[in-house]
Amino acid sequence: MNAGQRTTRRLASKAGSSICRSCRETISHNTYSTAATAAQTEDQNAHKVQHIPPVASTSPSTSYAVNAGVVLSRPPLITRDLHPFESAFFLYQRRLNERLALPFTRYFYFKKKTPADIEWKRKIKQRLTPARDIGRYKGYGDEAWNDELLVGAQESDVQYQVERLLEDAEQPATEGEGEGGNGNSPASNAETSTKSITDGSAQKVDHELVAKPMPRITEADRKGDVKSLDRLLQRTLYLLVKNREGQWMFPQDRLVGKESLHMAAERILIQSGGINMNTWVVGNIPIGHHQHDIQADLLKSSKNPNELGFKTFFMKARIMAGQANLLENKLGLADFKWLAKEELEKEVEKKYWQSVKNMLAER
Amino acid sequence: MALREVPWRVASVFCRHARPVIAASRPCNRRNAATEAFEELESSSSLAVPPPSSSAEIAKAFDPVARSRGRKLPPSRYQYRSPKYYRGPLHPHQPPPVSDPSSRLFQPGPFTLPRLEQTYQSTIASDLLTLTYTHVPPGYRAPVKPQRLREWAGDSPYYKGRPLRGPRGGSNLRLLTPPATFRNIPEITKVTVHSMVPEAQDNSAVLHVAGMIIQAITNVRVRSHKAKHNVVGWGLRSGKMVSITANVEREDTFHFLAKLVDVVLPRIKEWRGVPGSSGDNSGNITFGLTPDAVGLFPEIEANYDMYPPKMIPGCHITIHTSATNDRDARLLLQSIGIPFYGKLVN
Repeated sequence: MNAGQRTTRRLASKAGSSICRSCRETISHNTYSTAATAAQTEDQNAHKVQHIPPVASTSPSTSYAVNAGVVLSRPPLITRDLHPFESAFFLYQRRLNERLALPFTRYFYFKKKTPADIEWKRKIKQRLTPARDIGRYKGYGDEAWNDELLVGAQESDVQYQVERLLEDAEQPATEGEGEGGNGNSPASNAETSTKSITDGSAQKVDHELVAKPMPRITEADRKGDVKSLDRLLQRTLYLLVKNREGQWMFPQDRLVGKESLHMAAERILIQSGGINMNTWVVGNIPIGHHQHDIQADLLKSSKNPNELGFKTFFMKARIMAGQANLLENKLGLADFKWLAKEELEKEVEKKYWQSVKNMLAER
Repeated sequence: MALREVPWRVASVFCRHARPVIAASRPCNRRNAATEAFEELESSSSLAVPPPSSSAEIAKAFDPVARSRGRKLPPSRYQYRSPKYYRGPLHPHQPPPVSDPSSRLFQPGPFTLPRLEQTYQSTIASDLLTLTYTHVPPGYRAPVKPQRLREWAGDSPYYKGRPLRGPRGGSNLRLLTPPATFRNIPEITKVTVHSMVPEAQDNSAVLHVAGMIIQAITNVRVRSHKAKHNVVGWGLRSGKMVSITANVEREDTFHFLAKLVDVVLPRIKEWRGVPGSSGDNSGNITFGLTPDAVGLFPEIEANYDMYPPKMIPGCHITIHTSATNDRDARLLLQSIGIPFYGKLVN
């Protein structure tokens, strides 16, 4: 028995009535004194003990209603921004690799006087280093030792590295061909969407245009549009709705009849966000729960004083396509937002946040 | 710099504490070999001159080449070669640790944080746990598993003290699947790419080409293997080099799988997917690629003419996962985008 279990037992004995009976019994069983005696009897009793199901209390005078909640999330769409230390480390390792690797064997990879060989020679003349995005690396000569980048060098800027890669991907257009020449080779013409298309005359084209990567910050980010699914591409977004009482929370509803949590989650998604969402409810088990207790003074005046409150079990769901639309919702929802974890903390109540925060992804 | 902002009295207290340290670092009267070098280093030390106002200024003013001109250090002072052979723990000249760039065994890396790895950590891992988790009520004790090895039952006196027998039908015990927790979510541990080219027995060029191709697509040095036995049916002669493997680990695994899933597999014509019966019962799944499919890898396709025609080999790809059964491994591979078809076994 290790210190962890001893601590658990100590906590359990202090906790008193707040821990359930079966838990307390299990924990209090395993003391040092009982361990020795239990070891002998356990083998015979093992198969009997393990099959005792947890028994519900015999007098269900008070109870909680069971709700199903749906944590509908959009996973991150792009990679995260690297920490400055990470990007500096990766650049350092890449330059180190350049230092330690054998020189590039051109004649192995390119046959002499082939277009690929000529292209390689042109590129290496430009950048003077086999690697494309690490800047100039000089491995030879008297000052070969001076190969470390200094603080604030432009090569360590991620944007600079991206631009170098794009520059390298640009191919020079096929040379020595006029209009007729282009017409004769439709295949190459289709591939190269060159600048000459815009101006009618066959001008000398210096290079082929390469599609630039889309910006990592979208229009929705700049406008602060929390209803858009295009915002915060690096983060997981969660659907948060405003209910009748004006509280922000995950969509939830009471279980109807004999339906399971999974079925309830699918129903709630349709009843709250409409049919215009392509969603996937992950698995059959809840990922967290929240207990809401009705206040004592309100409890006396409520319709069912035996119902102490409700417990919400949250199912995990992913949105693949579409968008929430609350126009025809049947849960009385007023508004919705797509929020990241730390934004969500500001919207929901503190107690709700406490029970919800551990099931949300950090990123 | 920090001292300037604190009040004088506090600063003087600090200095009183710092004094013995300064005294210790001051060159003393005793003359030894290091003294000269120490003075040389100390002359341009930042302790002597008042500190500049910002670190950006220091960085801007720093010119290593100009600095080295004044210095005139002999090469032996800044160049170091680790010993070529390890001569035992008692030898005075010990090689540096492998993590040191000056070590002969040093491998640089990692160079990137792969996209697939980030997706696994942010999305796939938590979904897998949600899918495979089994809830047990508090107080539940899992039934005790009986001994899986068989005892030697019988009258023979030699049975006493014999090690237990293996299970019926095979000598190996299958892996046990522990309850799913956040600690044992299946993950991809490595990928093995294997290519067997029996034609290499007659023409070694085939083996070289196969090696270069596997090396190009995996970014890992390959190892070649000999045939162990004569197998007439397959045309194998023992002792001849017939196959190539590459063990892809860490960062390269994710880059290789991302290439495979996003570029190669979608372009294979009439490909049904990985057979659902594939797998070794312990979470490692293998499938094959034809020579045509290998030619679809971007590294090969970009420079297709370089490789001799009809020498591009097919290959087998084994994806090793930390799952303990094929069902979980398949779930993981499906989640990264590898389709399965047919009857799903185990």
